[in-house]
Amino acid sequence: MQNKLSFHQSSVSLEIIGLPDYSNNENKDQISIISQWKLTIVDKPLIEGKIEHLVPIMDAFYIYSNLLIKNEIPIYESKLIDIKADNLHIHNIVLKSSKANVKPLVLKIGNSLLSDTINCFDQLNESPKVRIKKRDIPNKIPKKLKFVLNNKVKFFNFFIPPFFAICSLILFSSSFIYFYSPFENIEKKELINPE
Amino acid sequence: MRKSYVNNNIKVNEFDALIKITVEMSKYLYPYIREILKSKEDIKENSIIWNDFNKRFIELIKERFNVDSIRVKKLLNQTENGEIIIKSLLTLSFCISNQGYQKLKNFLYDF
Repeated sequence: MQNKLSFHQSSVSLEIIGLPDYSNNENKDQISIISQWKLTIVDKPLIEGKIEHLVPIMDAFYIYSNLLIKNEIPIYESKLIDIKADNLHIHNIVLKSSKANVKPLVLKIGNSLLSDTINCFDQLNESPKVRIKKRDIPNKIPKKLKFVLNNKVKFFNFFIPPFFAICSLILFSSSFIYFYSPFENIEKKELINPE
Repeated sequence: MRKSYVNNNIKVNEFDALIKITVEMSKYLYPYIREILKSKEDIKENSIIWNDFNKRFIELIKERFNVDSIRVKKLLNQTENGEIIIKSLLTLSFCISNQGYQKLKNFLYDF
C-alpha cells in the first residue's frame, strides 16, 4: 500500500505518492521512495512524471522566481524545462518529454499561479513526512556578503561623523579669510620703506 | 525616502524583527496579494482591484514619504510604479512558507 500526500495552495496542488524506507526504520506514513508525483494547476493540463524529473522542475521554478525578483533576465532553459517571461505578468513554461515523438507541453501561467506553485514546492520541501534529495539551496547569507555588509555599515558609521566635522571646520575657518585686515600690510610696507 | 528628518541607522535585531513581521503579515494577507497579482494579469476583467490597490498605495506614499524625492516620485507615477509594485508583491508571495523569514532576508540582501 502506497502513501499519498497532497500539498495545496489556492489553485495549485501537488500530490506525492510513494513508500517509506523500512530499511531506515521509518514510520508507515513517511515517504522516502517516491514513485509518482502530480502537479495540478487549475485550468491547465496535469503535469506528472518520474522522481528524477521532480527535483529539476522544482529547481527550475526556484531559479526562475529568483531571477524574476532580482531584476535579471528571467529565462531558464534546460533539457527538461524552459521557463521564459512573456511579460511582467505572464510566464511561458515548456515541458519537454523524455520520450521520443512526444510534443512538448506548453503552459502559460500568471504571477498568481507561479506563486501558488512555488508555495506548493515550499510545503513539500518543509514537510517532515517526505524525504527528497534536495539540492543545496543557499539559505544562509554567504559569508563574503555578510562581511561586505557589516564593513559597509561600520565604514560609514566610523567615517561620516569626522568627515562632517572636518568639512564644517574648513567651511567655518574659510569665512575668516574675509576678515583679513589690510592695515597690517600697509604698516609693514611703511616699516620697510620709511620715507 | 520617509517624511522624517531623523536618520537613525536600523539595528540588526530591529531589521530581523521587521522581516519577521513582514513575513507573518504576508502569510495572513496572501489571498489578497494573490488577487492583486491576478487582477493585473487580466486587467480588462479585474481592473477594479488593481486600481483600488494602486490608489490606496499612492495615498499612503503621499502621506508617509518625502514626495520631493525622485525615487518617491517614481513610486507615485502610475505608468512607472507597476513593475516595482508587482515585484514587491511577488517577493512577499514567495515568502509565506515556514522558511519565509530566511527567504525574504536573502532577497533583501541580494537587492
